[in-house]
Amino acid sequence: MEKTIISADNRSWFPDFKELYRYRQLVFSLAWRDIRVKYAQAYIGLLWAFINPIFNLAVLSFVFGKIAKVDTNGIPHVLFTITGLSAWVYFSTLVSEAGGSILSSQNMIKKIYFPKLAIPLSKALSGAVDLIITLICLLAIMLYYEAFPGENIIWLPVFILLSIISGLTGGILVSALTVRYRDFSFIIPMLIRVGMFLTPIAYSASSVPEKYKLLYYLNPMAGVVEGFRWSLLGSDAPDSLMIYSILIMVVLFFLSLVLFTKVEYKMADII
Amino acid sequence: MNTETAIEVRGLSKEYAIGSNVSYTLRGAISNAFRWNKKKESFWALDDLTFEIKQGEAVGIIGHNGAGKSTLLKILSRITYPTKGSAILKGRVTSLLEVGTGFHPELTGSENIYLNGSLLGMSKSEIRSKFDEIVEFSGIEKFIYTPVKHYSSGMYVRLAFSVAAYLNTDILLVDEVLAVGDTKFQKKCLGKMDEVAHAGKTVIFVSHKEGAIRNLTSKVILLDCGKIAKIGTPDEVYRLYNETTINPGFKRYSEDSILKSVNVNYSENLNIEVEYKFEKENQMPHLGYVVSNSTGEKLFAGNPSIDGIKLENHYPKEGKVKIIVEQPRLKFGTYNVAIYFGNGLKDFIADENCVSFKVEDVNTNLGFIVPKNKYEFS
Repeated sequence: MEKTIISADNRSWFPDFKELYRYRQLVFSLAWRDIRVKYAQAYIGLLWAFINPIFNLAVLSFVFGKIAKVDTNGIPHVLFTITGLSAWVYFSTLVSEAGGSILSSQNMIKKIYFPKLAIPLSKALSGAVDLIITLICLLAIMLYYEAFPGENIIWLPVFILLSIISGLTGGILVSALTVRYRDFSFIIPMLIRVGMFLTPIAYSASSVPEKYKLLYYLNPMAGVVEGFRWSLLGSDAPDSLMIYSILIMVVLFFLSLVLFTKVEYKMADII
Repeated sequence: MNTETAIEVRGLSKEYAIGSNVSYTLRGAISNAFRWNKKKESFWALDDLTFEIKQGEAVGIIGHNGAGKSTLLKILSRITYPTKGSAILKGRVTSLLEVGTGFHPELTGSENIYLNGSLLGMSKSEIRSKFDEIVEFSGIEKFIYTPVKHYSSGMYVRLAFSVAAYLNTDILLVDEVLAVGDTKFQKKCLGKMDEVAHAGKTVIFVSHKEGAIRNLTSKVILLDCGKIAKIGTPDEVYRLYNETTINPGFKRYSEDSILKSVNVNYSENLNIEVEYKFEKENQMPHLGYVVSNSTGEKLFAGNPSIDGIKLENHYPKEGKVKIIVEQPRLKFGTYNVAIYFGNGLKDFIADENCVSFKVEDVNTNLGFIVPKNKYEFS
């Protein structure tokens, strides 16, 4: 028989993944709710999901391709940018959506017990719609330019996984921090905007001056975006410094889970 | 009769911080870090609760607003965590602090059943296997594919309760959720809860409604200021509760009673005054009292015999008796006064839960009374 022990001491420091697995339906239901609600009331519904990345793409490739004329190693700038964008868009939506998700679910948290990690996780799932849509745009553009991926493509799933992990890390970290300090709901949009320019979306990381490279690759998304482009277009292989990106990401991922678990105990009281 | 313990609560306490030091902004955290006086103001919503509930028991929790009922329920449902102590719950626990938690107005009834069901910890197959029953119980088959924002509030509540009603659970924790919906559906809900209780499930039910508690439960826990004031049958507990709520400090007896009224007030002294009327003359109005705290511990007592007053019979046939208890300094809490009244040879009235009074003084938290301390330094 199941046994629940509630105790002031003896708290775990890491999420209970077995329990989370039992609540897996909740992750799906919440994701479905978000997708439904997001597009249900809009007149053109799901079309908005396409308009957003296309608009971003148009602005970025105009500014970086036509005005700043960055070097893309002969790759058409639109194609160059969309590959970077598809990795970035998912990451940034996940950070901002998951980041605010605990606060916006406070009614649930105050009324019923469930593993709270299900909330940011559900955002990873509902955000996948945006990822798939940008990937569709990417595919269309690749077909237009007749740029077919080489054998590097087998690495693409790895980089998709990495962008999911980094997005989740950011989202979980931010959601735990915003519960404690609301200030983060102002800081995060700012950081995301800055991060977009510090990530090689519309330019190549190889144009970053050598002395700043190490610092540059501290941004976990820098490596992911470069890797994305490399696996799809066979551009410059990611810098070996990328290993730092990945290491930092893994460490941060575990830290975010630990912090989240710590805050989870107090969530209903301080939210 | 199954006598295995379903819920075991040991020394459960919950402290809430209050006042200006509670801050959830960065600025607050920073300024708190530099504050030399880190004294936090707090109060104990629950203070050292210990009790046991057997499997298959239906237990009601009652008490005034702020007595700690909701906090207890929230801790048992793991929404919030205790500051001290522990609780062990055996079996699958479901809490209903609100019906329809997580319901989204844009989603259809059917989608909300899945969402709410999964929030209650049901798997997809479990929800699917009970879907038809849930819909039938709610009685809104026709609108199940309509967004719930178009529902009437009654339909909404019916659907929400139905999901919870078909949950497979061992321990059910219910807050006052039945206060909604029409009478017919309320009856249906109470019937369902009764069914659950009779199926050997353990039910904890918090309510202000005496009727509902009496109907559903066989045991009642009365909370007062975060402590257990009494555990017993609904009759026992409600007798105490009603007396303390209806007549705090004052009680009037029926016309044909020897004792007419009891009046207790506490300021610097504790004054206990009764009005009486004997049928026969030449009897001594012999008044005794026992003061106990909210957990039932007897603190102090007195009557004329103990205090060495001679039994005499020159007292009037009807009149008043007043006992002035000098300076019993008591700490914060609710106290119960038991009254014994007789002629000195025999008690005619023994009223265990006669009246109660509250002491607001918060000088100490230790022990039972506040002694008058004198200090000498030499």
